[in-house]
Amino acid sequence: MAEQAQRRAPMAQAQEKSLDNNHAYEELRHLIVAPETEGLAAVEERLDNLEKRTEDVSEVVAEAIHMRRATGDQALADALAPTIQETLRESVRRDPHVLADALFPVMGPAIRKSITETLRSMLQSFNEALDNSFSARGIQWRIEAMRTGRPFAEIVMMHSLMYRVEQVFLIHRETGLVLNHLVAPTVATQDPDMIAGMLSAIQQFVRDSFHSRSDETLGSLNVGELQVWIEESPNAVLAAVIRGHAPADFRQAMNETLEDIQRHYSSALANFKGDAGPFRGADERLSKLLETRYRQAPAEKKKPRTLMIVGGVAAALLLGWLAYSTYLLIEWSRFLSQLKKQPGIVVVSYTKDGRTFHIQGFRDPLAADPKLLVSQAGLDPEKADLQLAPYYSLDDAMIAERAEKLLHPPPTVKLAANHGELIAEGSASQQWITKLEEHAPWIAGVTKVDDSHLLNSNLQQLYTLKTSLESIVLLFPIGRAELEVGQDAKLAEAQNRIRELQAQSEGFHQTATIDLVGHSDTTGIEGTNLVLSQQRAEQIRRFLMKGGVKRDGLRPSGVGTTQPLRDETTEEGRQLNRSVTFKVSFAPVGNASASTSNASAASPGN
Amino acid sequence: MIQKKICMLGSFSVGKTSLVRRFVTSLFDEKYHTTIGVKVDKKIVKANGQDVTLVLWDIHGEDVYQKMRMSYLRGMSGYLLVADGTRRQTLDDALSLNERVVQEFGRIPALLLLNKYDLTDQWEIDSSQGAKLAAAGWNVFNTSAKTGDAVEGAFLQLAQATLDK
Repeated sequence: MAEQAQRRAPMAQAQEKSLDNNHAYEELRHLIVAPETEGLAAVEERLDNLEKRTEDVSEVVAEAIHMRRATGDQALADALAPTIQETLRESVRRDPHVLADALFPVMGPAIRKSITETLRSMLQSFNEALDNSFSARGIQWRIEAMRTGRPFAEIVMMHSLMYRVEQVFLIHRETGLVLNHLVAPTVATQDPDMIAGMLSAIQQFVRDSFHSRSDETLGSLNVGELQVWIEESPNAVLAAVIRGHAPADFRQAMNETLEDIQRHYSSALANFKGDAGPFRGADERLSKLLETRYRQAPAEKKKPRTLMIVGGVAAALLLGWLAYSTYLLIEWSRFLSQLKKQPGIVVVSYTKDGRTFHIQGFRDPLAADPKLLVSQAGLDPEKADLQLAPYYSLDDAMIAERAEKLLHPPPTVKLAANHGELIAEGSASQQWITKLEEHAPWIAGVTKVDDSHLLNSNLQQLYTLKTSLESIVLLFPIGRAELEVGQDAKLAEAQNRIRELQAQSEGFHQTATIDLVGHSDTTGIEGTNLVLSQQRAEQIRRFLMKGGVKRDGLRPSGVGTTQPLRDETTEEGRQLNRSVTFKVSFAPVGNASASTSNASAASPGN
Repeated sequence: MIQKKICMLGSFSVGKTSLVRRFVTSLFDEKYHTTIGVKVDKKIVKANGQDVTLVLWDIHGEDVYQKMRMSYLRGMSGYLLVADGTRRQTLDDALSLNERVVQEFGRIPALLLLNKYDLTDQWEIDSSQGAKLAAAGWNVFNTSAKTGDAVEGAFLQLAQATLDK
């Protein structure tokens, strides 16, 4: 313990010593670094003091943001964006009027510009459609629209792309200096710097002159065939020099390109100090505007083909029409020549009026129906205008036709005309023959009537009887004048026929003379044969008269072997020559002597 | 390449167009052509060892009939204030015009050209006046578009000034 005390003593001493030293050191330190310490303390206090710190930051925050923005760094915008969005949302939620009031001056022009832009595109399309509707090209496009089944407006739009964007300027809006300039191949240009400057000057001149606001700008300039279309963004101006008529949607393309550039180069544009280098990169975006003109190249190539097709169709139609017209003409002239040959039709004249044929002339009412003839020729009766006056034709066919109509001949009579002479053939009743002889000369065109070949049908019965009687052969045995056995039936038939003949012929005022001709075969001597044949004829007359036949008109005779019925090479032939046959002749009443003399001529040979 | 928009400012008939013509094409025409609106021209010069395209906006001279449009000046990097040394009034007008420009655009590089120095016998500006202008910070050039005196130098100096800024 003592030891400890002892130890403590020196320690205390040392402590005291060191305390003194410390004090001195502290004093020294105070002397040396007091100002710094105070400064540090002040800084510490300031850092701890939130109010002070806020005050400090508030002093530099604007400059800091400004500096950061100047570096072109996107980070600041990224960092602020969510907060700003949140703030805006919150602001709208609390009171929408605040933001609405703030945006009001911006929204009005923005909406107006958008509507104006839309209307302008629409009007331009409409104007182009109107322009194209009434031109030759328009008609061609209409045909194309019909052919392809696409709307006409679409065809017009496709063809309206016939323009060439010759130059594109990207101009710094504030200075009017060129940021980028592209020229289409083979286009001669002025100095772009000067053009850009002048464009800016004009822009400003227009703006000043018409006291328009800065968001209202000159949209386009027209210089002859050239147009300059101008679009503006906050920092840049895009101008396109166009030859011809660009469609309205090209402006849309310009707008999109400009917006893209404005977005991409916003800081470079804002900090532009005359160095256009950074804007070289916009070449690709701008060249797309120059390329637009290539889109219509294939469409242009198509045109000649379209023209060829249209031309071909037109030529084919024309050829077809010509061929059809020629065909019709040939058909009609063929029909005309046929018509001229028609009996009872006379063609005086004909004319063609458009597609209708007018035919003038005369027609017998009994002639063929001309309308029917037209259809038979394969032509359209509607296209034929027939003006045929009625008349009496003296054509033989017509005379015959007319006589037919008026005389109603029985089917057994055939009427024909030859140079006005009406010829009747066939057979008819006595009444009809009388009618013919009475009426025919009165028929128009008939000059003479020939009915010499017309048989009285009643008279014909007599001839039938005659033929039937003349076919009967009554047979006799050799050397005898009595009938062969079995000839009674034939004899009876002959008897009936003769009676009938005698009765009928009286009705026609005819006298029927019936020769009973006796024949003999060649056996025996000729003189005997002649006598025998006479006896055979006499024998038959006796039989007939016994059977009630009048003696008048029966004239038996013998011809011997002079008129054999058959040659006598067979027994059958010889038998037929041993016979009596009949021969009938008629003569009008009171004229019988001729026949009698005729008959007596055969008599001397008895 | 760096481009700079340079404006020619001053009263009418002080020789702005002639100065530009002399600078760009080395020509001078005795006939007077009044400028209507703006005529834009350009010339490439060497300054600080690099090519600089000067786009020269020759703006119509100001007179009682037509006030100059300030909008033409937007985005300019520098300007030449031109006065006619033979007409004192044009200097006063130039200076008052300058005040309006400074008010609108702030201080930007500018030179004061006292033109028509070939007509010294008709000179209306004395040396004390020159000293006063120099004291006010003006870099004054006595130029002659007709002879070409100091023209190129003035433009070059302005080009330099726009780069240094």
